[in-house]
Amino acid sequence: MTLRFQQQKYSRDFRPKHSRVSILNAEHYSDKLDELVYQGLRLFKLEVRGKSVLLKPNIVEYIPGRPVNTDPQLIGAAAEAFLRLGAASVTVAEGPGHHRDTVLLVHETGLADQLQHRNISFVDLNRDELVKTKLQANYSGLGHLWLPRTVLASEFIVSMPKVKTHHWTGVTLSMKNMFGIVPGSRYGWPKNVLHWAGIHESILDICATVRPNFVIADGIIVMEGDGPLNGTAKHLHTILLSDDPVAADSTLARLLGSEPSDIKHIQEGGRFIGNHQGVVL
Amino acid sequence: MYEVSSTDFLSEKPHFLMGLLKDLQMEISKHSLHSGGWPSGNGKTAAIETTCYALMALGGDQGLARQNAIDLLLRTQNSNGSWPAFEGDDPEGCWTTALGMIALRYAQSSPTPLDKALLWLLDNKGREGHWLWKWKFRTVDRAVLFDPDKYGWSWFPGTVSWVIPTAISLIALKQIARATARIELGTEMLLDRTCPQGGWNAGNGIVFGAPLTPHIDATAIALLAFPKAAEPAVMRGLSWLQQACNKCSSAYSLAWSVLAFSVHKDPTRDHCVEKLRSVLSSQTSISNIETLSLSAIAINAAEGNANPFQLVI
Repeated sequence: MTLRFQQQKYSRDFRPKHSRVSILNAEHYSDKLDELVYQGLRLFKLEVRGKSVLLKPNIVEYIPGRPVNTDPQLIGAAAEAFLRLGAASVTVAEGPGHHRDTVLLVHETGLADQLQHRNISFVDLNRDELVKTKLQANYSGLGHLWLPRTVLASEFIVSMPKVKTHHWTGVTLSMKNMFGIVPGSRYGWPKNVLHWAGIHESILDICATVRPNFVIADGIIVMEGDGPLNGTAKHLHTILLSDDPVAADSTLARLLGSEPSDIKHIQEGGRFIGNHQGVVL
Repeated sequence: MYEVSSTDFLSEKPHFLMGLLKDLQMEISKHSLHSGGWPSGNGKTAAIETTCYALMALGGDQGLARQNAIDLLLRTQNSNGSWPAFEGDDPEGCWTTALGMIALRYAQSSPTPLDKALLWLLDNKGREGHWLWKWKFRTVDRAVLFDPDKYGWSWFPGTVSWVIPTAISLIALKQIARATARIELGTEMLLDRTCPQGGWNAGNGIVFGAPLTPHIDATAIALLAFPKAAEPAVMRGLSWLQQACNKCSSAYSLAWSVLAFSVHKDPTRDHCVEKLRSVLSSQTSISNIETLSLSAIAINAAEGNANPFQLVI
């Protein structure tokens, strides 16, 4: 643990009394995910009726045959499920880290077909209207970030990571996935300002400021080894749902064979963003 | 103020392209903000990158929108000579400074703001240009394979060099034929960062020993910074781009490719123009002003008119 983590850097404790986790078994990506995700969400009795829901998947790079991105079938299933639960609107939004041509990426990954088929809107967070936002924790020292209005205006934010190992951060899960809300138009492609401020530190500041309300993690086929781009595929056959990003990431890290306490942002996130343990539904 | 050499290798100039160009220019003009400039995405605030492309895209018929855009650029220039990412942004400046120089020069604005911008641009370099970070990248941090002696420009101050801001800065400097040493260094940086299969991505060809894939837009923009295809890396980049465009369905990437092929007098350009036209016609709405503007710039260049990113003075 570096010196930066030894002082209290947050002013508010977001941890719920009880965190809940549900692990769904899914053999592969198919239309059956629609019903599976819907039934999984119903276990949580979420209050999403009339709310604007924002799904934040992990769309990084299209490399045929490699499980780099959140699968579009799962994103489509999640959108459908929230609409069935009474959400007023569902928007899929992402700001890819390296790729400036988001339209190309959305088409190449197959997400465009899902969005069109289900009539779901997409927002490129790299090019959204920005609002100067005070960070609710101070690990990075950045103080504030310009964040997309679409994210700030959403009433229910769902982080939808692709479960992967990551050569800089150990793993890339629901908390690291929130890097994608930071706009390239203001922080570059990649968002190099955050790297220099500290990746774990920036993750904590972002998640304290825009804490995901829910997690739907794509663990059906995950990436092991040299992630987030060059690792190998592993079939975990799992979709993880949770109302707590720290509980979600702790569980997912264990599924990947990592100890959550070894991953700085998960360990520190347990102090104020969420709980390391969740009740399994 | 300057002349841009025309591309005369296109034997036939289909007239329908001119109609498409006019339509694009009208559409861009229609979205101009009352206060000048254009927003990015669904925004309501003028974005500098978007405004620069739109300014380069408009024709003589859109005089008011053009003038408002020039006024916006002059108004938003920071006191240190740089440009921010958008109107109302913090004042430290960023990569759009080079783009602002190219756009204002193309619009034949007064040279004073460009002189100030030039000073800022020359004062900025990727963080690996500092001896301490150079040492770190040379000794303890070798995950990303690159030569820290060869640096260019970052997206934002305090970070390392990346391909697109370096290429755009090189174009801005080469157009005014200044700062030869920085031009050489930036050019070397681009040559050092090519992907093993040819072309460029955001910044690095090899990370943790694994080759990364090139991107169409980064490759096309990097190619614009080279005057001719004499370098093997440039020829490999052109060759990769020719293949990649065949499968590309994005107007944004195709537009950059048309511009690169035009500069390098590559016959693939005609096929790429046709693909661009087809994509623009088939998509019911492209709300993105950057894409519309780059498409207009590309079609105009393909018609043998000025290419604002061309290096020739």
